[in-house]
Amino acid sequence: MTRYLLKRLGGALLVLLALSVAVYALFYLVPGDPARLACGERCSTQQVTQVRERLGLDASVFTQYGHFLQGIVAGRDYSTGTAVLHCDAPCLGFSYKTDQQVTRLILERVPATLSLALGAMVIWLVIGVGTGLLSALRRGGITERALTVLTLAGTGMPVFILGLLLLMAVCAYLRWLPFPSYVPLSQDPEQWAWNLLLPWLTLGFFESAKYARLTRSSTLETLAEDHIRTFRAYGVGERAVVGRHALRGAVPPVIALNANDLGTVVGGAVLTETLFGIPGIGKTLVDAVRVVDVPVVVGVVLVTGTAVVLANVVADLLYAAADRRVALL
Amino acid sequence: MSTAVTAGASGARQVWRRLRGRPSAMVAGGVLVLLVVLALAAPLLAAIEGQDANSYHDALVDSARGGVPIGSFGGVSGDHWLGVEPGTGRDLFVRLLYGAQVSLLVAVGATAVQVLIGVVIGLAAGLGNRLLDTFLSRVTDVMVALPMLVLAIALTAVVPADFPRPLLLILVIGLLNWGGTARIVRAQTLTLKQLDFVAAARLGGSGRVRVARRELLPSLAAPVITYGAILLPSNIVIEASLSFLGVGVTPPTPSWGQMLSTAQTWFRADPTYVLLPAGLLFVTVLAFTVLGDAVRTALDPREASRLRVGTRAGRRARTGGDAATSLKETAS
Amino acid sequence: MRQPSVISRRVAAAAVSLVVAAGAAACAGPQDNDAKADGTGTGKPQKGGTLSVLNTEAQSDFDPARLYTSGGGNVPSLVFRTLTTRDRENGAAGTKVVPDLATDTGRPNADATEWTYTLKEGLKFEDGTPITTADIKYGIERSFAAELSGGAPYLRDWLIGGADYEGPYKDKKGLASIETPDARTIVFKLNKPEGDFPFVATQTQFAPVPKAKDTGARYEEHPVSSGPYKVVKNEGDGRHLVLERNPHWSEKTDEERHAYPDTIDVKAGLDAAVINQRLSTSSGADAAAVTTDTNLGPAELAQVGSDKALAARVGTGHFGYTNYLAFNPKVKPFDNPKVRQAISYAINRTSVINAAGGSALAEPATTFLPDQPAFGYTPYDHFPAGKTGDPAKAKALLKEAGYANGLTISLTHSTAQNRETSPEVATAVQEALKQAGITVKLQGLEPNAFNEARWSVKDSPGFFLSRWGADWPSGGPFLAPIFDGRQIVKDGSNFNHAQLDDPSVNKEIDEINKLTDLSAAAKRWGALDKKIGEQALDVPLFHPVYKRLYGKDVKNIVISDWTGVLDISQVAVK
Repeated sequence: MTRYLLKRLGGALLVLLALSVAVYALFYLVPGDPARLACGERCSTQQVTQVRERLGLDASVFTQYGHFLQGIVAGRDYSTGTAVLHCDAPCLGFSYKTDQQVTRLILERVPATLSLALGAMVIWLVIGVGTGLLSALRRGGITERALTVLTLAGTGMPVFILGLLLLMAVCAYLRWLPFPSYVPLSQDPEQWAWNLLLPWLTLGFFESAKYARLTRSSTLETLAEDHIRTFRAYGVGERAVVGRHALRGAVPPVIALNANDLGTVVGGAVLTETLFGIPGIGKTLVDAVRVVDVPVVVGVVLVTGTAVVLANVVADLLYAAADRRVALL
Repeated sequence: MSTAVTAGASGARQVWRRLRGRPSAMVAGGVLVLLVVLALAAPLLAAIEGQDANSYHDALVDSARGGVPIGSFGGVSGDHWLGVEPGTGRDLFVRLLYGAQVSLLVAVGATAVQVLIGVVIGLAAGLGNRLLDTFLSRVTDVMVALPMLVLAIALTAVVPADFPRPLLLILVIGLLNWGGTARIVRAQTLTLKQLDFVAAARLGGSGRVRVARRELLPSLAAPVITYGAILLPSNIVIEASLSFLGVGVTPPTPSWGQMLSTAQTWFRADPTYVLLPAGLLFVTVLAFTVLGDAVRTALDPREASRLRVGTRAGRRARTGGDAATSLKETAS
Repeated sequence: MRQPSVISRRVAAAAVSLVVAAGAAACAGPQDNDAKADGTGTGKPQKGGTLSVLNTEAQSDFDPARLYTSGGGNVPSLVFRTLTTRDRENGAAGTKVVPDLATDTGRPNADATEWTYTLKEGLKFEDGTPITTADIKYGIERSFAAELSGGAPYLRDWLIGGADYEGPYKDKKGLASIETPDARTIVFKLNKPEGDFPFVATQTQFAPVPKAKDTGARYEEHPVSSGPYKVVKNEGDGRHLVLERNPHWSEKTDEERHAYPDTIDVKAGLDAAVINQRLSTSSGADAAAVTTDTNLGPAELAQVGSDKALAARVGTGHFGYTNYLAFNPKVKPFDNPKVRQAISYAINRTSVINAAGGSALAEPATTFLPDQPAFGYTPYDHFPAGKTGDPAKAKALLKEAGYANGLTISLTHSTAQNRETSPEVATAVQEALKQAGITVKLQGLEPNAFNEARWSVKDSPGFFLSRWGADWPSGGPFLAPIFDGRQIVKDGSNFNHAQLDDPSVNKEIDEINKLTDLSAAAKRWGALDKKIGEQALDVPLFHPVYKRLYGKDVKNIVISDWTGVLDISQVAVK
């Protein structure tokens, strides 16, 4: 078990390292002088040179990458001429655009993304697992057909179309809700929830179709297994069969998928955040890519990658824990 | 569907028979055929309507009110069957048709690239020695863990502006998203390697490449087509998402995602402008999904029966696969 | 003026780029239809209450040395007082310079190379210590330090010894060309005549900074106030600011700022669409809210237009700004004046203006100077294209130029969604030139690459979209960087796209700079613009107009033509 975990984490670390190299190299190729970007539009050539030295941009790309890794592990010092600015580990550098520490910038954006992700998760679990179970238990009926069509439609609907249509319906025509404007939980919990309701529904509906399909197929599979048949043959009540045994079969894959999805969404629900103007990680990333703010992009991609890769590991562990029949290697 | 043919003519006929038995698949297929015909006939249809994709009609928009189309339903008229675009007065009917060309071209092209790379890498990993397998599997892991949308945006910024944009989109989506195919092909290859006929061929002295081409590829066709059918609609969504985020095809080439991107500010003043591309995109993706689902069942009836019989191995393989693809399919 | 300048980065660029609600969907339209539009006229403004400011851009540089503002800025102007400032009046009256910390707008010597200012009496910092001219000198000196870069280049270019000075941290002796004979007098010695010096003295670099409280790069976390408010909270690098009254500020020494609200609460990092939606709904704290950097986009304008109550809460602002098509005559076929003239004739300004958001958000431009008297606006239209272009005339000119069978060219533009240098405008130009037989290939570049390309002397494309905004409302900062041959910057940011180096133009620029009579100078800038226009070195397209929504409880709206921004030092919420 421990060995397996170590192996997986080691692999994850390698993946992240490769990811950082790829992203770093990619952005090194993007046209545009980062020193000029960092210095501002109207900097003199002399000032740009100073900024280039200060940020260590005059070194070779390999040295720069080395410094970058060193910053993550041990922190880094930047000289400002008068004083030395220390950037604590894990240091992801400073934004070219706003001068802010990338680590701090990302941490600031995490609450918004987490708020979105966790709320949407509740919705996709309730709706997805609910419809999946319902359609599995009412096989062949009109309910199953309707649910199948709905989930198929859900799978096909791009999240921004779903969001746009919801916005149109709920806040333009029915006027049930004002236009969402993110309010931090710490500031006003009630407003927080009201303003996130639409994004939650959008992302929740979007993801729930997948869960409905998965729940349905794994429930059907479990119901068809020998021991369930035996239970039925022995006259165990249908409620008990479903409640105690069939559900147990559906849980592990749902948990595994959920861990994965949570990783992805925490890494940035780019489209949902962009559509609703939620100042989360995904939106930060898109904005930073647009202005080629390399430190922010590299930082966010690494954090995103970490979230996804860790979620993968956690998913497998959860899967194993929930389903004793699967032994770890 | 040329790979299906290699699986044997009788197999293809069988699949077709199974597909015909499903009305939903037939409807979806019909919708897609209609869409492809409409897209290909775009110049002709434009000529019939008497419009083209790029001509401005300044008189048809209200300049003082931000350029909102004059008239109801976004300026629908005998001259402009589906109305005009806010700000420019360009004909929406023609632009939507040309937008279909872009969506289909990019999605099909990107799927082809993904399948091609996936099969090559998967086969190489499955047939190669342990070192190669480990290396390629790790590379695949990296590809699966990449935040696709973001890297795609970044890549489009690196490439010079005069590089043909649809080709760029095909390459970007294709090169970033082959991990799932590679995993499935590798797993399948490993299973097939143990089977008698492959072992026999190898004992008979066939080289690795020959084995791959003659014995493995035909058996891989079914899972690869199935997976390709899942990739296709997700590629349409990815293309639309990239255009939505402003990094799709260059103007004035129309694209559904790009229309939606400008339309998102217009949905109160000109709802038609949102609903048209949104509806088309939705129907297209839905039709592809339904058809893909049907093709999967038709190609692998055992899959359906497995649901009734239930085997552990099958479940593990499928949920594992689902989890892996979910990483990519979620363009959230 | 070795290094040319541009627009006020923080003020203008941010504001202008947000004409479009690029990010989020707009759910324009009021939830609250009872919203009474009693914003402007009714009720006398009273002291008290909290004003909310909803912005897209965070006030991340809150250091007077680092700000590139025009006329003292928006939020910064509440905390920093400067030697002079803009007149806080509506419209054209707001383009005047008036005294702020100083008793007058400055006393020049005979050839305008030496400017003397005297401080008002009784000026104090937020801690009660008196403000002296040494604090102003120190504030200017720190703006020369490399780590506090970001400000306008004028001081570096104009002050004697400015080009080599490296700031007070490295060079303790200070800058000799700023003299402070006593605590209330300060003298600036320039290397050439500059009649516009009073305009430059409105910039935040002229705000006093107490040396004892200077924390270098960290000063922005809590800059010491000389204005009516002081910073009590600064979170998330300027994303959330709370300003409260500065007890040591006295209304008696400040005729310009009203400071009606007790508290100013600035929240930034919001999407443009979200801001406009909140202002239109105007519920709760948003009823007393304004924005200093977000305009209404075309779709929002279409919506507001159908709602009278809402339309009454929209302020209109102008800012000296021109969007134009630039030529690089070093690149063929743009070396041929006939080709440039043909393109001028072919332009369809109606399509271009629709692309920029429609006639409410952009006005057609045929002159390079903005259409305001302060700039010396002198109407001309050398190549009349009418409302929708004159393709016949264009074709005739092309034929004369030897392109009877048409011409294929590239137009470089940015991919930013700003409705200025963006794909929409480029496409409108492309479509108009097609009518004249010119095939235009679009070259979209990502914003930084686009700027680097158009600001490069070596690699500048032949034909591209560009824009220019005024650092202050005068013809000088508008024409000199664009047409002064000595301002062609070989290894930095060059704004003289046409690379014009005409001795007669250069000489006229020098002559006008000597004038301290601003209205006489304006007249000559206008005449110069008209003369340069004959060469068809650019095609002026449009001047943007800003529409700004404000909350229903906000009173005393003042929008000057200096920057076109709603002046938050004037508004009241009671």
